[in-house]
Amino acid sequence: MKTEHAQPETGANSFAAMNNRIGRVVADAIGRTLRDRGVSRMLIALLVAFGFFAVMKPQIFLGPINLQNIMVAAPEVGVIAIAMMLAMLTGGIDLSLVSIANLSAVTMSTLFTIMTASSPGLGDSMTIPIVLLGLLVGAACGLLNGLLISLVGITPILATLATMQILNGIAIVWTGGKTLYGAPAALTTFGKTAIGPVPMLFIVFVLVAIVIATVVRSTALGRKLELQGANPVAARFSGIPSRSVLISSYTIGGLLAGLAGVLFLCRNPTASADYGASYVLLVIVIAVLGGTNPNGGFATVAGVVLATLTLQVVSSGFTALRLSPYQYSIAQGVILVVVMILDTIDWSRPKWRKRGVTTDSASLQTTQVGTIKKDKEQE
Amino acid sequence: MQLLRKFRGANNEGSLALILLVVVIGMSLLNPVFFSVNTAFSILRAATVPMILALAVLLVIISGGIDVSFPVVAIGSAYTAVTICLKTGFDPGLPAIFGMAIIIGGLLGLVNGFVIAKFRLPTLIVTLGTQGIFFGAMLVYVGTRYYPSLPASMAALSGVNVIELTTSAGRAYLHVLVLLSIAIALIIWAVLKYTMFGRSLYAIGGDVEGARRAGIRVVRTQLLIYVLVGMVAAIGGVAYVVMSRSANPQDLVGGELDIIAAVVLGGASIFGGRGSVLGTVLGVLLIQVINNSLLLVGVPSAWLRAAVGLLLILGVGAQAVSARRSAQRIHTVDTGEAVRPELEKVS
Repeated sequence: MKTEHAQPETGANSFAAMNNRIGRVVADAIGRTLRDRGVSRMLIALLVAFGFFAVMKPQIFLGPINLQNIMVAAPEVGVIAIAMMLAMLTGGIDLSLVSIANLSAVTMSTLFTIMTASSPGLGDSMTIPIVLLGLLVGAACGLLNGLLISLVGITPILATLATMQILNGIAIVWTGGKTLYGAPAALTTFGKTAIGPVPMLFIVFVLVAIVIATVVRSTALGRKLELQGANPVAARFSGIPSRSVLISSYTIGGLLAGLAGVLFLCRNPTASADYGASYVLLVIVIAVLGGTNPNGGFATVAGVVLATLTLQVVSSGFTALRLSPYQYSIAQGVILVVVMILDTIDWSRPKWRKRGVTTDSASLQTTQVGTIKKDKEQE
Repeated sequence: MQLLRKFRGANNEGSLALILLVVVIGMSLLNPVFFSVNTAFSILRAATVPMILALAVLLVIISGGIDVSFPVVAIGSAYTAVTICLKTGFDPGLPAIFGMAIIIGGLLGLVNGFVIAKFRLPTLIVTLGTQGIFFGAMLVYVGTRYYPSLPASMAALSGVNVIELTTSAGRAYLHVLVLLSIAIALIIWAVLKYTMFGRSLYAIGGDVEGARRAGIRVVRTQLLIYVLVGMVAAIGGVAYVVMSRSANPQDLVGGELDIIAAVVLGGASIFGGRGSVLGTVLGVLLIQVINNSLLLVGVPSAWLRAAVGLLLILGVGAQAVSARRSAQRIHTVDTGEAVRPELEKVS
């Protein structure tokens, strides 16, 4: 993920030395990324899924239209999943993201319609302020979440459950439950353009992923987010300002959700309060598949990106095989449960064998072992 | 003061009852039509299915988990039972239909419970996964058809009322299934209060490790919780199908967070170990009363979701603030007990 930033400014005038160095940096970055279980696991899953569908239905699945569809559909889910990952990184969760995205899309669409009604062409000429407003709405909603969680002290899942209801309620009242039509033409055009075979929307997605990955991996804020999620008590004793860290995490999440709202409008010049209702749970699935620890402290953007693509590939592969979306729903659930189970079995197997399975459960034994050890240390 | 504290209840049931009372009185003053037997009966009718589902969720939440698959389990088992009856053309009678749905619900719950208890996975993630599996499996293997009419025995139940009154505002009906929800509430209340299983739920929700050391069979209890939740949800599903006089496999699904919100509003702690049947009943009733009031005052029912969200923030926020205050009183940083040993060691 970091390769793009690794432009070395070596004084070495020999091209070979520079080449070497780039090679080392790239290899290092790739090696480090692959060492994460989430990333390597999802990379394998993506390749397997892609290979499977490519073999089963090459003429449809490998067609340029299908591949483009995957790249156009993935960004909006992916951006929300990255936002979810940020919340999970701090040990929280954000159920309000999809509502925020819809509210932002509804705001932009309404504003555009009002402007166009007052004077034709005004809405289109004001595209950039409209988009900025959409992002601002997202960030403001995220800030609200952050304040509720850090200042008031409400558990993330409840705070965002409540704001999800409130924001969704506002959007329903605002739109009257109908679908709004109207978005700046520039956005629609942007959604349709592509650089070579790669749609602009996908490039936006990749850029967002790179920026967030850099923030998480190489900035002080990223480290603070990780520590806050890994151990809040330790984080406080090491002088990490939990409040501002949580606020910035949820505000960035809100901003990303606002961006997802913009992406909604790029794909379709319509906005409604209940677009993408199934995304709420889908992005949790993606974040967890991507190796995010739901208890906090660990997450990789690369894993989330790969998980997004994998699910999108499976989804369009199922369509190519003429399977129903319901069968895709089964597959999605099976993938999630199986991956989670495989995860636990990997580390608990040795203890399983050693101690037999007479007592309650395998992993309870690990906690038991852990606590016994702790007890002994205290003695 | 003592009396006041007792009235407030362990999970703020008192405050909730007070809010409910204020809303009812306020609405009656604003609009005299509100204060009638008709309104009361229709609120009870509307609350029946959410109540049954909320009671199912309450069990999971007390044990420290979250279940988002229960609406799918509910509609899935009811829809499957109806489909079997209609496809075979054989109507086995009401108890058999309920029994069939309950068995299916219990089996689906067993899947949840097995994965959660056996592999110690986060409950939210597991039930998210099984929700997708159950939903897809129902639509692929059972069917996607909407049945506008039910088997005769169920259809007969749809029109049965316990009380029929003629009031000034027209006839008022109290549906028979309202009694079912009351019965389930009483049974779950008794189970939570008087059985070993019920006390184990609170113990596991409070601290899994503590419960295990106290000799509670955590895995077996957890398995049982999810089976029970599946069974109660199935009853809710059949009740829903009967009351809506049709079977649609896509119904109920997507409403899981609304039900969870009602349970949390009712004072159950999302971390487990706390929650009561009374609180949950009050939480569900409050939401239904507000829903009804909004309509009467002329506010679009679309505001309902926002109102529930706002109530949730106020309720949980007040709890969080008071918890923080009491934590400050015993001179610890706001996480309470866990921090103190370390502090003492340092000093």
